[in-house]
Amino acid sequence: MLEGFLLTVFACTLAIIGAVIIGALMASLRTSGNRIVRGVAFAYSDVFRNTPFIVQLFFFFYGLPEIGIYIGAFETGVIALSIIGGAFVSDVIRSGILAVDQGVIEAAKVSGLSRWTIFTKIVLPIALRTSVRPMGSVLINMVLTSSILSTITINELTGTAKIVASTTFKPFEVYLVLLVLYASLTYALSLLINTVHRRLNRAMDTGGAA
Amino acid sequence: MIVIENVEKRFGETTVLKRINLTIEPGEVVTILGSSGSGKSTLIRCINGLEALSGGSITVDGNDVSTKAGLAAARRRSATVFQLFNLYPHMTALENITLAPINVLKKPRAEAEARARELLKLVGLADLASAYPQRLSGGQRQRVGICRALAMDPNYLLLDEVTSALDPEMTGEVLDILAELARGGTTMLFVTHEVEFARRISSRIVFLEQGELIIDMPTERFFAEDGGFAVPRIRQFLTKMKKD
Amino acid sequence: MRYADFTPYDLVLLAQGLGVTVGLFTLTTLVGLLIAALFTLVDYYRVPVLRQVIVTISEALKNSPVLVQLFLVFFGLPAFFHINMTPFVAASLTISLNTAAFAFVIFRSGIDAVEADQVAAAKVYGHSRWQILRFVLLPQAAAFSIGPLVGLLVNQLQVTSLISVIGVFDLTKIGNILNLRTLEPFIVWTVVGLLYYALAKLLASVGARIEKRLRRSVVWEGI
Repeated sequence: MLEGFLLTVFACTLAIIGAVIIGALMASLRTSGNRIVRGVAFAYSDVFRNTPFIVQLFFFFYGLPEIGIYIGAFETGVIALSIIGGAFVSDVIRSGILAVDQGVIEAAKVSGLSRWTIFTKIVLPIALRTSVRPMGSVLINMVLTSSILSTITINELTGTAKIVASTTFKPFEVYLVLLVLYASLTYALSLLINTVHRRLNRAMDTGGAA
Repeated sequence: MIVIENVEKRFGETTVLKRINLTIEPGEVVTILGSSGSGKSTLIRCINGLEALSGGSITVDGNDVSTKAGLAAARRRSATVFQLFNLYPHMTALENITLAPINVLKKPRAEAEARARELLKLVGLADLASAYPQRLSGGQRQRVGICRALAMDPNYLLLDEVTSALDPEMTGEVLDILAELARGGTTMLFVTHEVEFARRISSRIVFLEQGELIIDMPTERFFAEDGGFAVPRIRQFLTKMKKD
Repeated sequence: MRYADFTPYDLVLLAQGLGVTVGLFTLTTLVGLLIAALFTLVDYYRVPVLRQVIVTISEALKNSPVLVQLFLVFFGLPAFFHINMTPFVAASLTISLNTAAFAFVIFRSGIDAVEADQVAAAKVYGHSRWQILRFVLLPQAAAFSIGPLVGLLVNQLQVTSLISVIGVFDLTKIGNILNLRTLEPFIVWTVVGLLYYALAKLLASVGARIEKRLRRSVVWEGI
């Protein structure tokens, strides 16, 4: 089961990186001035948040080869997980962006900084710092969701557990251990998130308790 | 020169500024007085382009702030200090000051930092260069705010009630620096409630009442018994301010 | 017409799947909320031991994948306790408990959100703990909880799709069948996705209406 565990960690790491990039991008688009851009970014988040992950996963897994895209199950899984994660991350970052003090943005505007610099050097860094905790629960959820990758033949943690359960004929014990493993994984992740939150916000007044 | 001509500003149904005409020459220190809600801050926000004009025009050294290019040029020539400091919370004092010089004036980092340290020393914060705003007192924050403005080498300093959020002791710290700048010949447009201080440092005083500019006088005339003080509304305002 | 093509009967299949999904969702929501309410009572009255057990169970359910919980109940329980377990029973049991775990936390924070001053005031007037819960805490906690609760239920609706993995013939399972037969994954999963989407939107709009009403009554009572 160690191999499965490592595969879960690997898949989640990749997907989390993907989700944060997609999420930051989509959040930026959702606060853009262009109505169509905003609409598309909103639709993305809305659709992927309101349909089951397993349906999205099958859509990509069975659909992509139909249009001539042949990638492995693992790649498909990571992409799908990044996409749904990105939808949730974009919501979190968007709220973070909207919560940035207007006065701070005004100070940047009158000093002549370009829109791009204001966004990348001021708005986004502040939003990311205030979003650490809500982002943390999204990432924890992604780890739990990654178990669904086992349904498209990926032998990550849940996938290998299924094999072990059927070969040992001890499904109860195996799945109980599996449950504890996931809980420890998410607990470790939550500790990490708390540390990041403290590090990033040590210096900054975010309005909440640090 | 900042030239304000026939400026109007409306928020929906309410008119905040009515046909304002005002010229600020280089080297002048002009104070805008008036009770809260008289439109003083809005006037500053029109000059630095945070509010769009409903009518009239404003030029800063000939650059029309209602055009995109003009506003960019005007913002390079002026710098604003805010009532609530508006420092970037995720950056140190030094980073707050060097951000615009590096990104807007395209100064090399080393040069921008050297200048920032110089400014911090000037306001007595030399050892707090790497402190984050959260760790600074209100007075210290505002002094960093002033450094941030000065680092742009502005022709004009726009000061929007910069001491209103500070207690008397901290107000003193900040006003001393401003007095120093005034003596050094920095052109300033100063919105404030500090009547006595205005009297000390400004060359001209402008009085706004319900969005209208009702008085524009050299400072001595404004406080003279037969000058501004002879106007009932001004006398009433000054007497009330003294009591506070 | 090839055997693999879509037939009108597929619509009936989809409708059946939709029915199973909605039915199981409704059942598990009702049971789940009931369990959550009991959990909340145990927590409120600070019942020793039981309270710790509940908190532990709820944390375990919140921090592990629903799929693993389903496997534990469907494959694990029958093997260990030598009992019979149908996919539908396993699915209902798991999703109910999962909903309960999350709803419990929402209810508890709803109660915590009521200011301590009000509780202190009610105590001073001699109200019993039950009266305080019934007349002071519950009406307000309900208003605080409804927003997060609707969010949870929209999420739980998506979660029900996992029961297809243990063989319940819900909407997703029907999607699987149609997908394998017609080999038209884009059409099949788009239709299935849209049906879930429509259900989610319906649920959210009903929730918003209830929230509006509850909030109004709390504001009114507050005057």
